[in-house]
Amino acid sequence: MSVEAIGSAAVEAPAAGRSHVLRRLMRDKVAATATVVLSLIVLAAVFAPLISPYDPYYTDLTKVMQPPSAEHWFGTDNTGRDILSRVFYGTRNTLMLGLVGVLIGGLLGGLLGILAAFYPRLDGWIMRLVDVMLAFPAILIGLAVAAIFGAGLTAVVIALVVATVPDVARVARGAAVGVMSQEFMEAGRAVGVSDRTLIWRYLTLNCISTIFVFLTLRFGQIILIGSALGFLGMGAQPPTAELGMMAAQGRDFLFMAPHIATIPSLAIFVIVLAANLLGDALRDVLDPRLQQ
Amino acid sequence: MIKASLSVAFALGMAGSASAQTLNMMKGIDAPHYDAQRTSWGPTSDIVNMIQDTLVALDWDGRTPIPYLAKSWTVSPDGKLYTFKLRDDVTFCSGKKMTAEDVIFTFKRLKSPEIKGPFAWRAGNIKDLRAPDPYTVEYELAEPFSELLLQLTMFTNAILNKDNVEALGKDYGVKGADGTGPWCLDSWQPRTSITLKRHDAYRWGPSMYKNKGPVKFEKMVIRIVPEDSSRVAAMMAGQFDTTHQFPSQFIAQAKVSPMLTVTEAKPNFQLLYFGFKTTRPMVADKRVREAMSIAIDRAAIAKGILLGNADPAFTIVDPAALDHDPKTAGIVKQDVERAKKLLDEAGWKPGADGIREKDGVKLAPKVYYTANANSARVAEAIQGYLRKVGVHWNLQPWDSTIASVKMAEQDYEIWSVTVPYLSAGDLMNIYFDSANIPTPNRMNWKDAETDDWLKHGRAALTPEERAKFYAMVQQKVMNEHLWMPVLNINMHEVTNRKLKGMRPHMIYQNTFYKGLDASF
Repeated sequence: MSVEAIGSAAVEAPAAGRSHVLRRLMRDKVAATATVVLSLIVLAAVFAPLISPYDPYYTDLTKVMQPPSAEHWFGTDNTGRDILSRVFYGTRNTLMLGLVGVLIGGLLGGLLGILAAFYPRLDGWIMRLVDVMLAFPAILIGLAVAAIFGAGLTAVVIALVVATVPDVARVARGAAVGVMSQEFMEAGRAVGVSDRTLIWRYLTLNCISTIFVFLTLRFGQIILIGSALGFLGMGAQPPTAELGMMAAQGRDFLFMAPHIATIPSLAIFVIVLAANLLGDALRDVLDPRLQQ
Repeated sequence: MIKASLSVAFALGMAGSASAQTLNMMKGIDAPHYDAQRTSWGPTSDIVNMIQDTLVALDWDGRTPIPYLAKSWTVSPDGKLYTFKLRDDVTFCSGKKMTAEDVIFTFKRLKSPEIKGPFAWRAGNIKDLRAPDPYTVEYELAEPFSELLLQLTMFTNAILNKDNVEALGKDYGVKGADGTGPWCLDSWQPRTSITLKRHDAYRWGPSMYKNKGPVKFEKMVIRIVPEDSSRVAAMMAGQFDTTHQFPSQFIAQAKVSPMLTVTEAKPNFQLLYFGFKTTRPMVADKRVREAMSIAIDRAAIAKGILLGNADPAFTIVDPAALDHDPKTAGIVKQDVERAKKLLDEAGWKPGADGIREKDGVKLAPKVYYTANANSARVAEAIQGYLRKVGVHWNLQPWDSTIASVKMAEQDYEIWSVTVPYLSAGDLMNIYFDSANIPTPNRMNWKDAETDDWLKHGRAALTPEERAKFYAMVQQKVMNEHLWMPVLNINMHEVTNRKLKGMRPHMIYQNTFYKGLDASF
């Protein structure tokens, strides 16, 4: 059997199981519900400009803090903006933040973990760097970045990436070390396959499902951290709608207009719950040990 | 939820029930120290006004200096020599008698370069200080300062105990601060609480109070409660007797609460404004500044955002303030169509997204302000109005710990603060004199006429002459639209109904001031 064949077999395995994964997901009622809910949320976010009943930035100081009504289903906020429209746009921004945080953090963390596993001489350095990064809570990083450069989405993205990289790096390294001990890796080296090919085709593609499952589990937490930073005023700035910031704006009016804080908070709750349930289900489906 | 919050707060209140001889106060933010000369910080000033006294006090009308530690004074015809006759019955909390030596030490320290007093200018340009006898001070100025007496009412000019300051050295204001005030500093736990005790010897209360002293409580405990909602719940549950920092959005509820009394400081000069940095190209054109100023509905902002706890401000100096110029009243008038026309004339044309552009640059000025303040909510409301005329305010809030540093920089177009002031001269000398560039003259307004008129106003020997020059300044800066006055923010003292005799003062947000008439 050629080395290419070994490699192909190794990377083909996840692709072959894709339809099986989906079937198993749909058989699990909780996972199916989470998938449907998350899909609806994503659709609402994507098509926010089409389905929002009002301009989310339009202020009307004659209609401030109105409770939910036929005219404004979720009521209005403290500057008279329609909360339903802002929830659609806010969900869009919140999901984008989570996605960007997870993608960039996952990419960097995955790369660091795989390099650490592949090059033992780099292992110590990279893992110490990861330890240092783990020592800083994401909220603290976000606050520091916002204090220096000003509050905004950049500060949140940096904080989310810093929060994601070390955990992903550890998981990726763990998965990669396991793959490194496989015979096909040794065979690849023996026949002179380049490091780049070994890292990408043999190592990365065999670790990717593990990293992916971890990131789906992490997605909910990233949304929460992003919303917390928004709540603290470090994230998106007005008039941009972002769920954490919207909840914070309503905090001052909890006694007189509780819907302003409650509705975006509930939106965050539903997104995080759906993401976590889906992440759990994916882990159950993709983890061979759990299948046994 | 409200019931639950109140129950919890009530339980806390009962748990910490103090004796009837203790006054429990609450405020939202603590100070870094209590050395009045080294700061312009409001949270220092309210405590200083309780523990220390000034030569003259400010009467309830907010414009009349009345005798306090100085029982009388004379002013020379050239306006340069003030001779203060001090009371001879005043003692510090430590028991030491206050004499002219302490007064002279106080002002020399205030003017010393080591102190770097941000408000040292309020004491005038002092040429010499002399004490012909222990209870007379000759206060000689290098040039007349028409508002000296008014400025001497400010906390930063409070009289210090020379021995106490020298003994504490750099720890003065941190480990202790002796004073002649009706309250004595007993202990301070930073960011937690300040405890004051009664100054038993105090008998020199100013004429504005019925009670000349001592205060009717053995001690006062001032707790720091940063969270707005917690302060509301604690007051409503009766845990505290008074606060001057009750969130404005809850004032309406406090007014209908059977447990609370809300009293508004009248008069009250506390302007929330947005200033334009005239050296930035985006707002260098007067027409752009005027357009922004007239495109907003101030009355709606006062009602909708501050829930009626502010008055719309159309002039930079409140009509009730000393030396306000009535001719400035019609300069700012809401007119959205004119705003659009001015922007068109200035070359800013609507872009595809509705935001105006010129030479490929969007009309999106950066706006700096302190987060978690009224400015934040007001800025958001203004942002909504300005979008309707094609201007996008790029809001940038800063944490209060860094806001003043960021606002001293030059890479933004607009900023906002709320400024308490005493008079037209007080407000304009701080902000519009070119000597104060880059801060607090953040507009970078360098105008020889303005500087000259301010100088003449400061040095005026009669009230009429002073008012004339300050009116000229007001007209100039208003016609240039250097500021966008928005609201005059109301100040309230919220008290438990059992507390009697509270009348809020307007001085520098220190509504409690001396609190001499307060009693259960």
